[in-house]
Amino acid sequence: MTGSLAQPAAKAAKKRFLRFGGRETGVALALLVMCIALTLLNDRFLTTNNLLNIGRQVSLLGIMAVGMTFVLASGEVDLSVGSIYAFCGLVTGMVIVAGYGLFAPLVLGILAGIVIGIINGLLSTYGRLPSLIATLGMLSMVRGAALILTDGRPVTVNAKNGAAPDVLAQFTFLGQGSVGGIPMQLVFFALIALAGWFLLARTSFGFRVLAVGGSTKAARVSGISVERVKIAAFALMGGLAAFAGILSIAFLPSGQAGRTGLGLELDVIAATIVGGTSLAGGEGTIIGTILGVLIIGVLRNGLVLTGVSPFAQEFLIGLVIVVAVAIDKWTIRERRI
Amino acid sequence: MTPIGAIMREGMIENNKEGGTQMKKLLGTALVAGLAWPMLAGADPINVKDFALAPRIAEKVAAGEELNIFVSYHDVSNEFAPQIRAGVERGDALDKVKAKFIGPVGADADGQINEIEALLDTMDGLAISSVSTDALAPIIDRVVEAGIPVITYNTDNPDSKRIAFAGQDLIQSGREAGKLMCEVHPEGKLLILTLDAAAQWSLDRESGAREAMAAGCPAAEVVQTVNTGTDPQEMYAAIENAMLGNPEISGLLSLECCTTPAAGSWVDRNGRAGEVKIVGFDLLDQTVEFVENGVIQATIDQAPEAQGFAAVDLLAKFLNGETIDDLDTGVGIFTSANIADVN
Repeated sequence: MTGSLAQPAAKAAKKRFLRFGGRETGVALALLVMCIALTLLNDRFLTTNNLLNIGRQVSLLGIMAVGMTFVLASGEVDLSVGSIYAFCGLVTGMVIVAGYGLFAPLVLGILAGIVIGIINGLLSTYGRLPSLIATLGMLSMVRGAALILTDGRPVTVNAKNGAAPDVLAQFTFLGQGSVGGIPMQLVFFALIALAGWFLLARTSFGFRVLAVGGSTKAARVSGISVERVKIAAFALMGGLAAFAGILSIAFLPSGQAGRTGLGLELDVIAATIVGGTSLAGGEGTIIGTILGVLIIGVLRNGLVLTGVSPFAQEFLIGLVIVVAVAIDKWTIRERRI
Repeated sequence: MTPIGAIMREGMIENNKEGGTQMKKLLGTALVAGLAWPMLAGADPINVKDFALAPRIAEKVAAGEELNIFVSYHDVSNEFAPQIRAGVERGDALDKVKAKFIGPVGADADGQINEIEALLDTMDGLAISSVSTDALAPIIDRVVEAGIPVITYNTDNPDSKRIAFAGQDLIQSGREAGKLMCEVHPEGKLLILTLDAAAQWSLDRESGAREAMAAGCPAAEVVQTVNTGTDPQEMYAAIENAMLGNPEISGLLSLECCTTPAAGSWVDRNGRAGEVKIVGFDLLDQTVEFVENGVIQATIDQAPEAQGFAAVDLLAKFLNGETIDDLDTGVGIFTSANIADVN
């Protein structure tokens, strides 16, 4: 008798756990277990230097994953982010080298990303193309545009190529500088993550994104402009991908259209999904995304520190992604019971 | 094999005062690389009389018509493509030659094969750099069987029916990198860096480098091969992680263009220039800067422009009746002593 009463109570508790942060708790626990294991396996893992390195290494991925959280939560996907990252970073670098100062190239680079994002959004909504197809096409077009623009040659932002020394110093500070020992890339990631959290969790726009992703029909009936919300999510994604690309070329002042950001979209999507954002839309949190990004970053760092062979690293990273997506599917089913 | 001369710039044999003894030793190695380049395991010299040339091509040659030579590169979007293309364009200026640079965007064997199949009936000669030797060998054989001469360049495909190869022997260039590493880093622990550890060119260079270091500096220990991926951020992060995990590392041997400047960036930013020795490949802008500043000790140039031109030139000569053989486009070894000769 007691057992039969306890079962529904346990089920309800489980449901509450999953609804109110349980998934993030699970990811956080997984991250914690990984960190403990790596600390035991390698005495260099838990050092300030290494942790700051991990923080910096995941920052650009994290900035893009914040944008991807909005896109996935709205029920869409953006495969063009790696190309936007490369295109906008290279364009910014080329304009700096051409002697247009710092502000104009930065604005141009970010605007380019936003415009590409808006085009993705228009194609996926009013154009009625599945976002998978629209952004796959955009991935190729933007990469091709970057190759045409650069003629396939590396773009190097240095004084020898024409960058003014003061502009160069300011630009490289964005990627290479630090504030109080914290790398600038990590500072930008933290600020963007905070803004992203606020936008998604505390504003009507965030509510609309989740509503649209949860049920387009219900959102439309509620008076939400589904198209506008989705276009805004894509625009945000484009702008953040562009900003990450600019920081990338500010950190390592050389990029090449054929290599920069190649395949990055898969890392961004994987990190976002590992963090609990549902591929089906309607669910996602910035905290979860940060944890997902950290899991990917800690895993890459730890596998190298512990001397795992490069081929085995690929296998293990893939395994983590598959397990995370499996958990995602399982929790969706549980929450619908 | 006909060495067209390792790309030994004149300045290389002139040492400067700053270079010192180590530079002299390095340049000594460079000369050895240039003059004693071993024979590639290639085909015998061949004349068009010994080749079953397609009748349509033979008629074009006899009529003195322009010959369509296609130069297929395994990834037209990578750093070398513009330089190889420049060599092909130089070849295009040869008399009665129409040379065209083709290939897939991104290393894609299927894309490369499909493109060649589509152009088969229009080509009078094909030069090819294979993204994968096994995957491309059958199409090379098919093209040869169709009576179209095929040479390989940049990356050889020795198991195919190609008639000659123009380029750098990858295992040998790895050996030269290994020898240079021994010169600057005779003992201690080192990492091998590559952006694609599974690629054939990487495996060849790595085996050559390891072989040369095992023979020339057994006290130098390769701790790990770091597979960095192709994105610049990934490369830097992988090097950063590996260096943190192995703080005793005092040498970095990069097998290609792109991890070379990334290694230089890490060493430079961490104030370990001179303490951690770097040997790498190619002449990207950042690499040249780091060699000038003494952050990178030596870099090996592959002369991609010369490879592109040689690809066209060899085929044109062959079709016009000259006997051709494998062609060594050589290596250029650059240190702080001669890096000013670049451009």
